[in-house]
Parts: sequence; structure tokens; C-alpha cells
Amino acid sequence: MKNWKNIQPYLLVAPQTLVFFLFLVIPIAAILMVSFWEFTGYSMSPAFTWDNYAAIFSSPVYLATYINTFKFVAIVWLITLAIAYPIAYFLAFHVTSLRWQIVLFLICTIPFLTSNIIRMISWIPFLGREGVLNQTLMALGVTNQPIEMFLFSDFAVVLAMVHLYSLFMIAPIFNSMMRIDRALVAAAEDAGASGWQIQKEIILPLAVPGIAIGSIFIVTLVMGEFATVRLMSGGQSSSVGYLIRTQIGSLQYPMAAANAVILLLVTLLLVFGILRAVDIRKEL
Amino acid sequence: MNIGTKINSVGKTNAVCDLGLTAQGVSLRSVSKKYGSFVAVENLNLDIPAGDYCCLLGPSGCGKTTTLRMIAGHEDVTSGDVLIGDRHVNNLPPAKRDTAMMFQNYALFPHKTVWQNVDFGLKMRKIPQSDRRTRVGEMLELIGLSHLAERKPVQLSGGQQQRVALARALVTRPKVLLLDEPLSALDETLRLRMRGELRKIQKQFGMTFIQVTHGVDEAFALSDQIVVMNHGHIEQVATPAEVFRTPASQFVAKFMGDQNIFTGKVINCIADTNSDLIELDVKGIGSLFCRGYGAVIGNEAACSIRADLVELEPYSAATSIPSTKQNHISVRITAVELTGYVTRVSLMAEKTGQELLYKVRTDDWHNSSLQEGQLIILRWSADDCIFLAH
Amino acid sequence: MSKKRPLSFYLLAAFFGLFVLFLYGPFSAIFLLSLQGPEGQLTFPMRGFSFYWLGEVFQQQRVGDFVSAFQRSFLLGLLVMAITVALSVLAGMAFRSKFWGSNLIFYLTISSLIVPSILVSLGIGIVFSLLGIDNQWYSSALAGHLTWTLPFAFLIMVGVFNRFNPSYEEASRDLGANDSQTFWQILLPLIAPSLIGVGLFGFTLSYDEFTRTSLISGENNTLPLEIFGMTTNVTTPALYALGTLTTAFSFLLIGVAVAAFQLLSHRQEG
Repeated sequence: MKNWKNIQPYLLVAPQTLVFFLFLVIPIAAILMVSFWEFTGYSMSPAFTWDNYAAIFSSPVYLATYINTFKFVAIVWLITLAIAYPIAYFLAFHVTSLRWQIVLFLICTIPFLTSNIIRMISWIPFLGREGVLNQTLMALGVTNQPIEMFLFSDFAVVLAMVHLYSLFMIAPIFNSMMRIDRALVAAAEDAGASGWQIQKEIILPLAVPGIAIGSIFIVTLVMGEFATVRLMSGGQSSSVGYLIRTQIGSLQYPMAAANAVILLLVTLLLVFGILRAVDIRKEL
Repeated sequence: MNIGTKINSVGKTNAVCDLGLTAQGVSLRSVSKKYGSFVAVENLNLDIPAGDYCCLLGPSGCGKTTTLRMIAGHEDVTSGDVLIGDRHVNNLPPAKRDTAMMFQNYALFPHKTVWQNVDFGLKMRKIPQSDRRTRVGEMLELIGLSHLAERKPVQLSGGQQQRVALARALVTRPKVLLLDEPLSALDETLRLRMRGELRKIQKQFGMTFIQVTHGVDEAFALSDQIVVMNHGHIEQVATPAEVFRTPASQFVAKFMGDQNIFTGKVINCIADTNSDLIELDVKGIGSLFCRGYGAVIGNEAACSIRADLVELEPYSAATSIPSTKQNHISVRITAVELTGYVTRVSLMAEKTGQELLYKVRTDDWHNSSLQEGQLIILRWSADDCIFLAH
Repeated sequence: MSKKRPLSFYLLAAFFGLFVLFLYGPFSAIFLLSLQGPEGQLTFPMRGFSFYWLGEVFQQQRVGDFVSAFQRSFLLGLLVMAITVALSVLAGMAFRSKFWGSNLIFYLTISSLIVPSILVSLGIGIVFSLLGIDNQWYSSALAGHLTWTLPFAFLIMVGVFNRFNPSYEEASRDLGANDSQTFWQILLPLIAPSLIGVGLFGFTLSYDEFTRTSLISGENNTLPLEIFGMTTNVTTPALYALGTLTTAFSFLLIGVAVAAFQLLSHRQEG
């Protein structure tokens, strides 16, 4: 009986852990291995060479792609944070009935349960050459010919990513803010804190774990992006994810794997950086 | 860990002057609070003198916390005026009212240390750094937690958290301290000790304390003045002794507990030297005599007698005739409960089935030969029986 | 909390309104444009009104094989949902007690969210090709989807069990039920409403998944991949019609899940 109790948790957790071992740990190990293999023009063959990595670091085109990816991460992070903080604050502190909080939060959530691809496509009528945005600008006399840059540009890529991922920032911040005892705000008011000081001294510090979790989501989602970059830039912009996709298309597995390893290392570096700065354990 | 000894050991005999604390009174003039159609507090008039320890006592939902929060400025009043000292503060934010609040679960900032928590109010008021350091240091010294200044609230015991909350409230030198159920988060032993310390601090500083509580014992032990509230109204404002001895209404008598209450119709009222002698016709029992004022013949009213002022005597048909001096009813003993110094004897009125209570010294009960199930006479003096007009 | 609403309330409310408009505006646009007449274009203004383009979706020669892609995604979603619910409940139960290595397993699970999706797809693709197994939606793509749905489901279940009062089970054992009776009669009915949520999550995450599937779907595409392929060669409102239909399907699912959740939790409270 005692023995059974001891091994019970291991049996229960085994199936799920097996899934992660087979389909996460081993694949990443395989990527690491293949990143040192050779590419012979039409297939890969086992070897141990740093050539793939050397090729990446010596190519200005590859490096520019990495810079471009970091640029997307930074811009999308900043914008989603700027949107998510006030939205979460509004829901948590200005909406006072729990029922309305749930309803409004669900309204924010529902689009995220639909297809990303469809949500990208749905920007076409707005941003296209004859889209709503251009027609409005021309009607207002801001411009007298349609602006091409709205669709198929970095602008469109960022816009679509913000549209796709802002919930991943809103939900954790909202969660953190909901845990803040309302009496703390009253106590701060009592002590003479202004609205601004309450934000700075009480709400922001206590929402930091949520911001950290949201940031981790945004970083990992945008780092591996290729569909949005491909679709919204019309193939004019690039990202590491898109690069990997293209290399797989031409069967260059070792190069793709080397890029994937670098991408993973950079992502983990950012995530650990965030985790070092913020203790998020209480949120889990 | 005793605040009193700490103060003495520092050698401050007059802490009031040293910490710059002075008291002010609080007045409420026809204050009402409505949430939509729900009336939380209606037409409240109350004067709390400077330096008083005043408890707002009542069951949950009676409006006591709302009243406190209106004084603090965390709730707007719907109508009426709030005065602190002689200042009209209706439109002032909490920080400008010279009040400080101690919250129910203390509301200590979890991400700030003890020092930063106490310092917070001073920092918000932009008091110079050097002054702040002195004042926070003094305050922590006073509550005896200087050695824990760098701890976070979660690392403190309940009693320590309570002291930090008190220090945080006092450090801004408020004229009035508002306490929202400050002892409810503590266990029984700690509650009794912190109760004593609150009272000691209040006396030491001569400050006005207004405390919300639902505990009768707590209100009795702490207050100079008790405000008993029910359904958004004030039922009685009096000293603990007065509330205990002459409850003003059936609600107050019931809420105090350990009172036997009889309802009936006023059939006679005789003016007397100290108070009127009133005769009540109680259904199934007959006439009961009590003392009080404001009886209107023909009205429904009630009288109450404390469970420790009644006496039992052996049953005999002859003694059970009511007189203007003594009330008698026949009762049966249903249960006996020893609670320590006092034994509580549950009784049931023979004719009406009403449950009654008799409290007696345990030693006296043991010397009597009464038994459960026995039919006896419950007797009490009309002078001890309080007339309750409503 | 009944103080007068400050100016900031109205400013933030307006901001919230704009955000909701930002979320739903594009949706409504493609919804409207998919209801155009046969001469409709990809942009406003609307040209006529008909259900022509919604019908067009089902014509294989016009927009590719939508119907069989939908069937595949639907089946895959159900498969992922069933596996996700079962495994996450088991794992959640394991985490009710502290066991040696539990932290390691916890972080392994969470790390599946942190690894960029494209890596999972690439890695599984490489492993399958090294082993000489063909990529299929029901093998490699299923594996990829599980690495995405399981961590979310696991976190939800850990949260559910954290709030679950163990005295219900103790009472059940006290009254003579064995472990399996306790599980089926007491525990499962009590957590059933949460399982609806986990199931909905599992299904929709799989149904809409793109990146993790992108390199390993094999010869037969899942629906999102099929639609992504169409964006380059379909230039008629049929594309929008497809979007409208799949989105309507997602909304329907959410509706069913919410109704089931209400029903189950209502039954629990009597």
C-alpha cells in the first residue's frame, strides 16, 4: 500500500511526460545533432562540422534577418504592453462587478480562439490598395493617391502580430491585477498617494510578474514567427522563422537546424533574463 | 513584546507630545448612504468627542463599516455632513481629512518592507528624507519591531502585522484613527492581548479611536462610548455600562445576549420618582411589571431582564401571584451548562414554551438542589426589569 | 467602492472600446464581404448581396479541397482534445502530491510553451525523416499539436486541483469507496465543468494551429495550412467566405462549450 502510494504520482504523470520526451526533448536533440551535419546539395549526411554556424555568422543577409526578427520582437512587445496594461487595469480596477469583468474579458478572449490565418486575411480589406484605410485617407484629403505601404509591409506585419498576440499580454497582467487586494489601494489613498503614485508604488510593482509572463509569451511567439511575416509582408520582409521555412523547402536541413539552435538559444537567453529579473513563481 | 513596557523602557512619559499627536472629535449630521435603491445608512446623527474610544457595534450589514468608510473618505456620503473637529470634510480626499485607517486584514503592501510600509504615508506627503527616517524609526521603536524593519509582511506573525498596520496609520499623525475590525484576523489569545494593547495606545496618546466591531465583548472592553447599529440606524449611543444595564431597544437587548425578553401590550403606566412603573400584559403569562419611560397604553412593547438578575425558587402555587414589586413565572429546567465561574441554566416557560436563561455562580448552583426537568418559579424584581418601547 | 467615477474611467472605457473595435472590426469586414454578389471583389464597397461565395467554398475546383481538409482538422481536433484531457487530468492528479522530480517535470512541461513553435515542427520533422517515417496529420502533426495543447491543459488542471478540497475524497474513502470508485463517482463529476474548458482549449488550439503543423503535415494539409496556401492563389471573396465559415464554426464551438459548462456547473449546485 505504501509502495503503491509512492509510485502512483509517477505512473500518473508518465504518459504526459512521455509525450514531451518523445516530441519535444528528442526533436530538439535531433535539431542540435543535425545542425552539425553536412548538406550535400540534395540531402544531409552525418558529420561534425561548424560550417553551418560559420555560414550564418559570416553572412550579412542572415545577420540582417536576425536583426529584423529582434526588431519585430521589440516593437510588438512595446505595443502589446502599451495596450495590455491599460486594458487589464480598466478590467481589474474600473469594472467593479465580477460578472462584467468576466463578460468583458471573454469578449477580448473569443477572437483568440479563432484561426490566426483568417485573422491575418481579415486585414486585407482594410489595408489593401483600395482598402478602407486608403479610401478614408483619400476622402479626408490626407493623400490623393492610395498608399501602397499599408498591406505587404513591416507595418502590416506588426499590426497583424499585435492583433494576434495582445491577449497573451492582457491575460497575465489582468490575472496579476485581480490578485491585488483592493484594500491596498484604499490604504495608499489613505496615506495620501495620488492616482499616479498609486500606479507607480502599488499597482505596477504588483503587476510586474504578469508583465513578465506576458513578455515571455510575446518573445517566444514573435521569435518563431513566419506565417505572419510571409503573409503580411507579401514576402518582402524576413524573419528567422521564415528563413528556416525556406531552407526546409529546399531541403537544407543542416542549415535550418543551425538557425533553429541559434533561435532557441537567443529565446532562452531572453526568457531567463526575464525570469532572473522577476520572480513569477507566485503566479503559477 | 509589550507595547507598554517598550514605551517605558525608552523612557518617554509623555508620548503624546513626542509624536506630535493630538485628537479631534468627529460629527455626523443627517448622514445617509444609498446604493441605488438600497439604503445602507439612513439619517445618522452622531457626535464622537475628541479623545474618545468609540466602537460602532452591530451585526454584519448594519452599516457600521460603511459609516467608518464615509468618515475615512473611502465612500462618498449620499446626503448629510461629516465633520472632523470643526472642519467640513465631505469633499476632501482621505489623505486630507487628518484621519488614518487600519484595515480589516491590515492591507500591508506585500512588496514593501516593514520600514517602507510605515514610511509610505510620509513619502507620499513629500516629507524630507531626514524627518522621515526619524519618525519611522521612532514609530518602529514604539511598537517594538525595529529589529524586523527589513522584513516583508508575509514574514511576520499576525500580531506583528497588526502592529505594523498600527504604526503605518499613526506615523502620519492623524487626529482620528479609524479601525475596521482590527482584531478579527487574530486567534483568541492574541486577540485578547492586542485588545489590551490597542486600549493602552489610545490612552497613552489620548487620540480619538473609532472602531468597527461585531463583538460585544470587544466593544465593552475597549469603548468609552458604544454606538449600537442595526439596518443603517443607530439603536443606542451610550457607555458600555449603560448599554449593559439599560439597553434602549429589543434589538440592543437581544444583541447583547443573556437577556430574557417578553413582548406584550402596555396596560398601565404609573409615574414614579425615578422612572415610570409600567405594567405589560404578556400573552399566556399575564402581567409583568417593569420600569422605564415613554410607554403608551395600548401599544405593543417589551421588557427585558438580565439572566444574572433573576432568581429561582421552589414551585408553589401561592407565590406565583404577580405584584408591582416582583414578577413570577413558572418554568421548567431544560439544560444546565457549566462555563467556568458561571453556570448557564436553560429554562422553558411552562405556559408559553418560551426559552429563557438563568445565569448563576457555579458554586451557588452546586449548593442548590435543583435538577434538570424540575418545575420551579422564576422570580425577578420589577426595578431590574427594563421597559423597551420598541 | 462607490465613489464617483473619475475621468480616467471614461478615458479607459473609450480605449477599451477602441480595442474591441480593433479586435472585431476586421472580422466583420470579411464577414460582410463574403456575402457579396458573384461580381464581388476583395475590398469595399460591397458589390451586391448573395450567398454565392459561401456556396463557392464547397466547389472543389475553385478554392481547393476545403471539405476534406476540414474533415481532417476536425478529426485531428477531436483526437488532440481526447488525449489532452486524459493526460492532463492524470498529470494534474500526480501534482497534488509532492514527489521527487516534480519540479523537473513541471519545468519540462512549461518549456514546451517557451520553445518557439517552428523548432518543434522542425525537430519532429527531422526525427521522422531520420527514422524514415512519413509525416501524416494523424502522426507527426498530432505529436506537434500535443506539445502545444498539453502545457496549457496541464496548467489549468494544476490550478483546478489546487482549489479542489481533498476532504470530498477522504469522505468518499471513509464511506467505503475504493480509489477507482472515488475517482469516477466523486472527483470526475466535480471537475467536469473544468474539463469542458480544457477540452475546448485542446480542440480550438489544434483546429487553428498553424506553425507547429507547418513542416510536418505530410501530403494532406490541415485546414489552416490549406487556407494559408489559398491566400497566394485565390483572389476572390471565396477566401473570405472560407474565413467566415471556419470562424462561425469556432463561435459555434465556444457556444456549445459555454452551454455545456453552464449545464454541468448548474447541475452540481442543484
